Amino acid sequence: MNDVPILLEMRSITKEFPGVKALADVNLVVRAGEIHAICGENGAGKSTLMKVLSGVYPYGTYDGQIVYQGAETRFSDIRASESAGIVIIHQELALIPGMSITENIFLGNEPRRRGAIDWKSANRMALELMARVGLAEDPDTLIKDIGVGKQQLVEIAKAFAKDVKLLILDEPTAALNEADSRHLLDLLRGFRARGVTSIMISHKLNEIEAIADQITILRDGRTVETLDVKADGVDEDRIVRGMVGRELGSRFPDHTPKIGEIFFEVRNWNVRHPISADRQVCKNESFVVRRGEIVGFAGLMGAGRTELAMSVFGRSYGVYESGTIIKDGKEIVLKSVADAIAHGLAYVSEDRKAIGLNLLDDIKTSTVAAKLSKISHHGVLDEVEQYQAAEAYRRELRTKAPTVDEGVSKLSGGNQQKVVLAKWMFTDPDLLILDEPTRGIDVGAKYEIYGIIQRLADQGKGVVVISSELPELIGLCDRTYTVFEGTITGEIARADADPETLMKQMTSTKKMQTR
Amino acid sequence: MSRIKDLQKNLFGGTTSNARQFGMIFTLVAIVVLFQILTDGLTLRSDNLIALFQQNSYILILAIGMLMVIVAGHIDLSVGSVAAIAGILVAKSMADWSLPWPAAIVFGLVIGAVIGAWQGFWVAYVGVPAFIVTLAGMLLFRGGNQFIGNANTIPVPEGFRVIGSGFLPEVGPNTGYNNMTLLLGLAACAAVVWRELQSRRTRRQMDADAAPMWISILRLAVMIGVIVFASLRFASGRVGTSFPVSGIILVALVLAYSFYTRNTAGGRHIYAVGGNSRAAELSGVKLKRVNFFVMMNMSVLAALAGMIFVARSAASGPQDGNGWELDAIAAVFIGGAAVAGGIGTISGSIVGGLVMAVLNNGLQLMGVGTDRVQIIKGLVLLLAVAIDVYNKSQGRFSVIGSLTRPFRRDGSGPPTASPKVGGDAAPVKVAG
Amino acid sequence: MRNFLGKSVAIGAIAALALTACGSGRDEESGSSGGDAKGFAANSLIGVALPAKTSENWVLAGDLFSNGLKEAGFTSDVQYAGASTTVADQQAQITAMVTKGAKVIVIGATDAAQLSTQVAAAHQAGVKVIAYDRLITNSPDLDYYVAFDNFKVGQLQGQALLDGMKAKKPNGPYNIELFSGSPDDNNAGVFFNGAMDVLKPEIDKGNVVVGSKQVDVKQTAIQGWKAEGAQARMDQLLTSTYGSKELDGVLSPNDTLGRAIITSIKGANKPIPVVTGQDSEVESVKSIIAGEQYMTINKDTRTLVKQTITMVKSLQAGENPEVNDTKSYNNGSKVVETYLLPPVAVTKANAAEAYANDPKLAPLTK
Repeated sequence: MNDVPILLEMRSITKEFPGVKALADVNLVVRAGEIHAICGENGAGKSTLMKVLSGVYPYGTYDGQIVYQGAETRFSDIRASESAGIVIIHQELALIPGMSITENIFLGNEPRRRGAIDWKSANRMALELMARVGLAEDPDTLIKDIGVGKQQLVEIAKAFAKDVKLLILDEPTAALNEADSRHLLDLLRGFRARGVTSIMISHKLNEIEAIADQITILRDGRTVETLDVKADGVDEDRIVRGMVGRELGSRFPDHTPKIGEIFFEVRNWNVRHPISADRQVCKNESFVVRRGEIVGFAGLMGAGRTELAMSVFGRSYGVYESGTIIKDGKEIVLKSVADAIAHGLAYVSEDRKAIGLNLLDDIKTSTVAAKLSKISHHGVLDEVEQYQAAEAYRRELRTKAPTVDEGVSKLSGGNQQKVVLAKWMFTDPDLLILDEPTRGIDVGAKYEIYGIIQRLADQGKGVVVISSELPELIGLCDRTYTVFEGTITGEIARADADPETLMKQMTSTKKMQTR
Repeated sequence: MSRIKDLQKNLFGGTTSNARQFGMIFTLVAIVVLFQILTDGLTLRSDNLIALFQQNSYILILAIGMLMVIVAGHIDLSVGSVAAIAGILVAKSMADWSLPWPAAIVFGLVIGAVIGAWQGFWVAYVGVPAFIVTLAGMLLFRGGNQFIGNANTIPVPEGFRVIGSGFLPEVGPNTGYNNMTLLLGLAACAAVVWRELQSRRTRRQMDADAAPMWISILRLAVMIGVIVFASLRFASGRVGTSFPVSGIILVALVLAYSFYTRNTAGGRHIYAVGGNSRAAELSGVKLKRVNFFVMMNMSVLAALAGMIFVARSAASGPQDGNGWELDAIAAVFIGGAAVAGGIGTISGSIVGGLVMAVLNNGLQLMGVGTDRVQIIKGLVLLLAVAIDVYNKSQGRFSVIGSLTRPFRRDGSGPPTASPKVGGDAAPVKVAG
Repeated sequence: MRNFLGKSVAIGAIAALALTACGSGRDEESGSSGGDAKGFAANSLIGVALPAKTSENWVLAGDLFSNGLKEAGFTSDVQYAGASTTVADQQAQITAMVTKGAKVIVIGATDAAQLSTQVAAAHQAGVKVIAYDRLITNSPDLDYYVAFDNFKVGQLQGQALLDGMKAKKPNGPYNIELFSGSPDDNNAGVFFNGAMDVLKPEIDKGNVVVGSKQVDVKQTAIQGWKAEGAQARMDQLLTSTYGSKELDGVLSPNDTLGRAIITSIKGANKPIPVVTGQDSEVESVKSIIAGEQYMTINKDTRTLVKQTITMVKSLQAGENPEVNDTKSYNNGSKVVETYLLPPVAVTKANAAEAYANDPKLAPLTK
């Protein structure tokens, strides 16, 4: 292995922000033609390192050396690194939804003939690039009309259009379903066979184990180690140990559920799509939640789980058609989010940044945002009470932040999620609906969040967990409903829950119950 | 360095100050000092200070409403036209229907509320962007003004003129000063001391280290110094003049709205809607109600501003309100508000408005023509915002970050500016 | 630490200013001399506040004031209102002139009715105010008014219109259209009334017909004296009224509007009727020589400015300035002492003679 030439070497990279050392003496060696994974908990410095590499932080703002293709390079901006063949594909895709695949691939890089864009050859070249990434679509299709998985492929095709030598993928499969993820990983293997070098940042350790040749682990802004997957016989546990600095005994905290009686019930819930009125997104769905119980909702993407949750939460999605909600034996009507909050419901959305938090806010204002009345006297907010409440939750949930005055945009994903949880715990809910509560969160933080969920249940609250990760549902939930195309297709007790059973129910309309 | 940080964090307004506002206040001071020198002391002479307040109170009142509109993520281009139509209707109501002037003021505010409800309806409940609704309103109400007034000027009675050109009355013994103004200054000093003590107590209760004592004392000394200076200046105007009534209206509104935006749920909701409307909605904020309120409130304030201008001009004319929206919007952005919404403070906007006002006044005193004044004002607006944007970009390098919005309203976190760029020093340089 | 020093200096500056304030009591010096004191120093500041630079006449007047006042030994401060926020600008400028200690302020008002507060403030500070060209209304504190006889201007325009049409076509009835100036300009109504003083008898006799029947000053007004407003109105009149009918004459209150009217008529491919004007703008004088516009009024800005400066000089010497009309100009609060200058009607026939002394216009007439 060691006779393969080194493509990139980053030597003692140190990057400081006022008050924070984001990277301290980090070293990274990437050899030509390999897939190199970078692992680390959120906040370990992975993204910062990639930004140093791609010139987002230009030469001069960091210490250390970057040697690329045998020569020291000093990128002044992203353009400089791209023209050297280093292309980053971010988790949030940088595509224009209203433009076609071809237009997106050549955006800022349009083939020209006599000053005008040469669409004929652009389309031809687009088809070639699409073939390389295995994307079979009409190049004139608009980006918004294809799925996330295919959008990811367009991003990669765009990178090839720029003649990429080093492809950097930041959480490439985070938003993809299983099939799309598998396709993407196969694609990366294919690139490797053709000599393209890739750096991949991912939280999905099974994927890393399956695909990476080398793994560099960062922790707290320092290089911990670089592992050779084949030579060192690396497995998931080995990676986790490097990332957190200790063995993780179990992915889930020990927990003995204390389940009470049914207190929340949704009956015959029917909801139509907000725009196309003929589409039924919730078809006669019914479910119950007991006190102290953690109830899972399993389903494929687009099965209608989020839609169900949001429509129950004060009709914040779709057009309500029929159905009743019964809480503590009485029927309640929730016409707005304010009604839902007043009746003790809380909904933690799947997309923290887009709809869960105001990223301009700090921790303390975010914490109290959903129930300002609790810290108001005669309509006047009490700053002291706000501070005390926020501080109490910061300690209880162990949110990593210097003070509650910290802006939430500066927190890592796990800590942002803790702030969102605090925001909803602050409303004193009886029922918490958590939509993908651990998406984009690293292993250590996940464990903590599971613990918080269990403690909430132990306080006698009902907790609904919507998740696309089956192991999470199996490990955490006392009972799991499966949803397929807007219909609840099964109800599976903890004892019977295994990936096969769940997957079967998630993909068929046949009703089944295991009690 | 830490003392400077202490100072920056604590000198103005305790926890809610931000580096930008801090810079703006110093810009303002620098401009005042600069013109004080350039005009041989005319700038801070009492008659000029009084005129400065009278001339700009209506723009600053607009800036209050505009700040809330912009924080909520909208814009209002119609304020000048709304002011003009309210002004002409109020003038007509007194001239033609002999409405007594206090009733006419109420009538004017009702007109503002009705117009605001109209615009708020389209923005909040139909979902037409405020830019379009108020662009339409700009034409609509300007046309209405010309239609109603036949483009004539309509004079208003003496009583009504008080709100635009009146002063605190002369009462009590002859002290060589206007006694009411002195009392007002004294009350302001007491309020400042009380607030400082209050905020020290609050900080202690929040287990945060209250600002060091020397900072509290320095801050009090500076603020009391400014208040004493200002009230002596206002009190020593020519007999018959003192602190203007329009200034009192302005100060009352600034205090009331600052309190509302900072310390009530309603105010917090405006920031929430501007910061992330979907997240706000899912936190139980009544989005439509907030949007309706900010638009309606803006028109009510515009009507008030229109009346004050008419009162000051002694007549309502067809040119009233021309270009006011631009002055108000400029004040808000110079005062540190974000174009995308969610960020900005009332006090910042007032300081921004004052920067423009002092600049305007100082240049006029120096005999610089309006053409050149406009060029200078345009450059100052551009520069002030550009420096802000530059500072922010130095703090946020990420491409993703640049897709999300600028994130700080509250400057109590560590400064985001890189050490290379003095976060607060840069704006001060504009003035020098 | 340099940062910190800078801030300390700024804070120190405020403190110092606060201290200087404590030393001064009530401002008496400006308030005391409200009455007719014995003139003022010969090099005193004289303020001149003019409207926005929308016509070349105001620009010329500004230059003449600057030079004339300087020649007479005064310090001058000539200001124009801004293009968009005209009234507010002018209000601020007048206040600033008072602050600077001007002894006389000459005002060419942008809106004649919205300056009474500033005039009052000037009066209280002992400043004499002269309304230049436009009478400031509703102000008991205005001291003098100097202008051309605007009623006479209107009469001359009306008469010239009749004469011009008669010269082209000996017998009526003549079709005409009427335009008037900006409704917020006090003079606009005066011009119009002057013209109607001549035209009305002819209209009543049926010799002259207003085709559109729009004879009211409000219907004929052009807001802000804007050329595009006049052009738009003429366009509409042509389509609504003069599809087949012939248009013989247009009463235009000034040159800018007159040329806009001619542009509109040319655009519609109609023969140019008799069009009046006022102000002797360069383009209009060329137009008259070329035989398009029929007439203009020569209100020689030089004479008007000269007369104003003469009044300022009298005030400086502590004398009462000469006036020639103490009856006609009531501004709503008082009758203002006025000096009126006679206007002159100019057509192609007498242009050379009328502009003989004008360095800019004289060459055009040759």
